[in-house]
Amino acid sequence: MMEFYEANKDLLLFTAAAGVKVLVFLGGVMGLAGLLTLAERKVSALMQDRIGPNRASVLGLAFNGLFHPLADAIKMILKEDFVPGRAEKLLFTLAPFFALVPVLALFAVIPFGDYVMVFGYQLDLLIADLPLGLFFVLALSGLAIYGVFLGGWASKNNFALLGAMRGAAQMISYEVVLGLTLVGLLMIYGSANLQDMVRAQGRLLFGFLPAWGVVYQPFAFLLFLTAAIAENKRTPFDLVEGESEIIGYFMEYSSMRFAAFMFSEFVEIILVSMLAATLFFGGWQVPYLYETGFILPGGAALPLNHYLVAALQVGAFSVKTVFFCWLMLVIRWTLPRFRFDQLMGLCWKTLLPLALLNILITGAVLLALGKI
Amino acid sequence: MISVKKVNNKPLNLLERIYLWEIGRGLLVTMRHFFVNLFNPKGTVTVQYPEQMIPLAGNARLRTRHRLKVRADGSPKCVACFMCQTACPAYCIRIEAAEYPDNGVEKYPAVFDIDLSRCVMCGMCVEACPEDAIAMDTAEIPGGVETRQALLLTKESLLRNLPGEPSVTGAANRLANDYLRARGEE
Repeated sequence: MMEFYEANKDLLLFTAAAGVKVLVFLGGVMGLAGLLTLAERKVSALMQDRIGPNRASVLGLAFNGLFHPLADAIKMILKEDFVPGRAEKLLFTLAPFFALVPVLALFAVIPFGDYVMVFGYQLDLLIADLPLGLFFVLALSGLAIYGVFLGGWASKNNFALLGAMRGAAQMISYEVVLGLTLVGLLMIYGSANLQDMVRAQGRLLFGFLPAWGVVYQPFAFLLFLTAAIAENKRTPFDLVEGESEIIGYFMEYSSMRFAAFMFSEFVEIILVSMLAATLFFGGWQVPYLYETGFILPGGAALPLNHYLVAALQVGAFSVKTVFFCWLMLVIRWTLPRFRFDQLMGLCWKTLLPLALLNILITGAVLLALGKI
Repeated sequence: MISVKKVNNKPLNLLERIYLWEIGRGLLVTMRHFFVNLFNPKGTVTVQYPEQMIPLAGNARLRTRHRLKVRADGSPKCVACFMCQTACPAYCIRIEAAEYPDNGVEKYPAVFDIDLSRCVMCGMCVEACPEDAIAMDTAEIPGGVETRQALLLTKESLLRNLPGEPSVTGAANRLANDYLRARGEE
């Protein structure tokens, strides 16, 4: 037994560490996604001078509606799990998984902190340190189309199929813009590893300005946010499902299968928020915080414990993520919906040329500065 | 002549056509509401209904849960004439008439049921009543209940006078008494 442990020590430690990281990080993501279902209703209520859901209570304690996600889950589980008689049973069952699994897999490459030393073992705070993490993100987010299209097609309903067509067209179009907006960052940081990109954002520009992606590429950030919201199928680009009026691709779904589609949307919000924070807002970087503590531009320094630094960094990443989640909720409840031709026009006639222009200008500036 | 409102549809200027500036302004409005309401929830317009009530608006104040008025001697003012049951468009009133044992000319309702699950709160029963015996002025709004049975108002739950309301001997009662006295059967 000990021999086996000694022989495979690295592998075993790596497996255990990865397991713990998956449990903790995905647990946090799932919890946040559950809370987002409540936050969506609470934020919209507050924006519209209402109070929002506050009735679900356990033992008479309502905590202003904190138990509503729980009540929703129980309700969803108890609903009838309906499958249309003419549906493709297998694909109909698989579609919610196709919607949820690629999105969850993407969290593997997102760095949520630098590293922590645990009993002399360096624990990198990201699950999979892929050298081409950014391309992994783009590839897997393209897979989410399968969930949409299979869901619409397998339910053998013409309206669902139309919704799926809209969804597939929209997601494929915005996939292009999403990829192109990130090319500028690739050129600047010279790496597709998300951890490397975050580390590079820890530098200072002109001696005082944090070299976050948004400082280098403010324009790309706006394009990225737009394309990401569209990729995410949220208002103002939610005519894929249009839950209030238009019928979407999951119209034949009920019970937990429907919940899986809805839940994947909320998980995607978190994913997009994390990506925006990682790529453009320094990820886990806190301005002027280094491994040994704060070092302000003037030279003043405040040395900090290693664990405190790690906690601050993870906390900063969480705060940035929650902020972007909140921003996406506010955007959803502020803007009206696009028409489909406007949606496609915005993508191909406006965003795509602008993204290409952004690449051109970035390249020209890099060339002029002699960085290439 | 139809009055026509001229809408001034200006073409969008450059800043408006870029959208982003206007989106930012829209976000500022909604964010202002969000933060104002987050730190001062009293500003919201929500009425937390069963716990919190506001004066009802307009005619809704005139038509609330039904009641049957009571005479001074505790008998219902209703004479079971079936006018309200006939007038009811929702068929939600059920009356079974009975006679007083000591009084051969006057009826009273042995059963007076109002099925609130069917009632449309139109007030026709109140208008139809020749005795002014039924009223919809309790200011109670029938709320959600857990069984259909709980929406069935029986005579016992309907009979009541409002606080301070003078209980009168009804016209029918007095006329009946006069009639009986004239026949020497008093």
